[in-house]
Amino acid sequence: MMTRLGLLVRLALRNLRRQARRSVLTASAMVLGLALLVFTRSIGDGAHETWIKAGVRLASGHVTVVAPDYLPRRTIEDRLRAAGARAALDALARSDLAPLVEIAAPRLELRALASSPRGAVPVVVYGVDPTLEPAFSQLTTRLVEGRALLASDRLHAYVGVGLAQRLHLRLGDRVVLTAQGADSTIADQLVRVAGTFRSGLPEVDDGVIHIPIATAQAWVGVGDDVSAVAILLHSSRDADRVVRSLTAALGTDGTAVALPWPTTTPELDSAVKLDDYGNYVFHFVLLLIVALAIVNTILMAVLARTRELGILRALGLRRRDTATLVLFEGTLLTTVAGLLGAALGLAVTFGIFRDGLDFSAFYSGEMTAAGAIIDLIMIPEFRLDHMLQNVVWIFIIGVVASLYPAWRATRIEIAEAMKFEG
Amino acid sequence: MIENGRTAVRTEDVWKIFEHDGMAVEAVRGVTVRIDPGEFVVLAGPSGSGKTTLLNLFGGLHRPSRGRVWVDEQDISDLSEHDLSRLRLMRIGFVFQAYNLLPILTALENAEFSLLLRGVPADERERRVRALFEKIGIANLDDRRPSKLSGGQQQRVAVARAVVGEPALVLADEPTANLDSAASGALLDVMTQLNEELGTTFVFATHDQELMARAKRIVRLVDGAIASDQRQ
Repeated sequence: MMTRLGLLVRLALRNLRRQARRSVLTASAMVLGLALLVFTRSIGDGAHETWIKAGVRLASGHVTVVAPDYLPRRTIEDRLRAAGARAALDALARSDLAPLVEIAAPRLELRALASSPRGAVPVVVYGVDPTLEPAFSQLTTRLVEGRALLASDRLHAYVGVGLAQRLHLRLGDRVVLTAQGADSTIADQLVRVAGTFRSGLPEVDDGVIHIPIATAQAWVGVGDDVSAVAILLHSSRDADRVVRSLTAALGTDGTAVALPWPTTTPELDSAVKLDDYGNYVFHFVLLLIVALAIVNTILMAVLARTRELGILRALGLRRRDTATLVLFEGTLLTTVAGLLGAALGLAVTFGIFRDGLDFSAFYSGEMTAAGAIIDLIMIPEFRLDHMLQNVVWIFIIGVVASLYPAWRATRIEIAEAMKFEG
Repeated sequence: MIENGRTAVRTEDVWKIFEHDGMAVEAVRGVTVRIDPGEFVVLAGPSGSGKTTLLNLFGGLHRPSRGRVWVDEQDISDLSEHDLSRLRLMRIGFVFQAYNLLPILTALENAEFSLLLRGVPADERERRVRALFEKIGIANLDDRRPSKLSGGQQQRVAVARAVVGEPALVLADEPTANLDSAASGALLDVMTQLNEELGTTFVFATHDQELMARAKRIVRLVDGAIASDQRQ
């Protein structure tokens, strides 16, 4: 037996079909609108992921395990003890976390003074594992001269090109690093320049030196202690999950804490949020246009069918039934168009542009923001949660945009509607 | 005074006053009338005499400004919109001047519409509509959309839609106005037949002389008030 609701759905479908040209035109606008929404959001998500990855590679990963008081002073006294670092690495090797982790690299970060015969400048020295570094940092691929660090290196340094220029360093030149040791005495370390890099970020190129972590640990006398275990994940979205698991694994004895990248690199987080905000404004305008198209189509359909809606009321349809009928028309049109738009958006985004959009022709040199080098090839990323959000949003827009026409439908006076010639 | 016995529709000193450009227009003035079940009544009168307004008051499409209206002995004067919708669905059938079938539905679907809203099962709906179509001579038109029907055929479907739910009252506003004389005569045959065979109560608002000739009772309105009430 057909229910009243079933009847209203049938009437709504037939009304849409009756005005096929108008329905198709409106639906086309909505399909294109949603396809554009899917496309821009996927590109935006992909760009953010690339952006975040670039930022955390130059910093301390998507997740960082440090001693509780390490941030923000970053002093050697607040270093992560070897036991804490080991516990973190053991936890990351577990089957539930290992698939999420691209690489976990212990690092020793030291504030130091770099001296050459031509001068001295303050620098940040990173003690890194040369075998892990190529997978972690972008710097190894940004070689200017010489080479990056090798596993066999002991007293070699990989130096920012700006710093090398300021100290007039060439390959093989010696540079003396001076820093506070673990015992609060001043300690020196002599290293030779193995290579220089250009990241594109002045603060990195002018003030960063990489040396082997074993050399750094011996230099400042911290044994196997480190500053942090920097963890690079396959996806930034897993950061919170990894932090929760690590927090559980590390316990609450106060020796180590796991922090997500928004905490350790807040400027990057702010930049992503700011960019997101801009995207939301664009998406809002896009959805508003879609909503106006729906309001226009459905309202016109209601006004043109005043007499017909009057007949329905005279035959016994309640006011709320006429409102439901109009809501169904708007929602059905929107839902169908929304699903088609999502499909078209996915097809275009991941069929045609799956290898990314190359913006390098529009920008010469490095593009940087919030301490990250922006890759000018933006590769789209599929996010199921965002896709579902898009569809839910378009559904809500359909319902909301149909509310006014539906209300208008309930205001129709039957006797007046019968005189209507529309 | 109201006589004893059940009525299809009755009014007591009913008035309908419209506001128009700040002026009060008395479309119906103090009408008291009763129409018994099975009657075939015409509301006659010149344009602007209040025929359609009175018909709309009978059907709950207008609310009286004063006085009361009963349909099938239910006082409808103060019913809520929801209850009026239910009343129209269950007890009143309408036939309008301009056919007013739903263009997106077939003839059969149009005719069964009120049954569908009442929740009558599909086979029962179809059986009743087909029987009625057979009776009024449009048996082979079930699947046609209104745009594929002549004016006379459309109006027969409209009549079928109005009577299929066996309402207490069928209200018809100028049902023959858009038909030629042959189609008009055929339609009146159908309604006369339904009145006689099924006992359906018909109340018409019309100028149509042929319809008035077939009426068993003519209520003449002048300036919104009953000028005469004659049985024939």
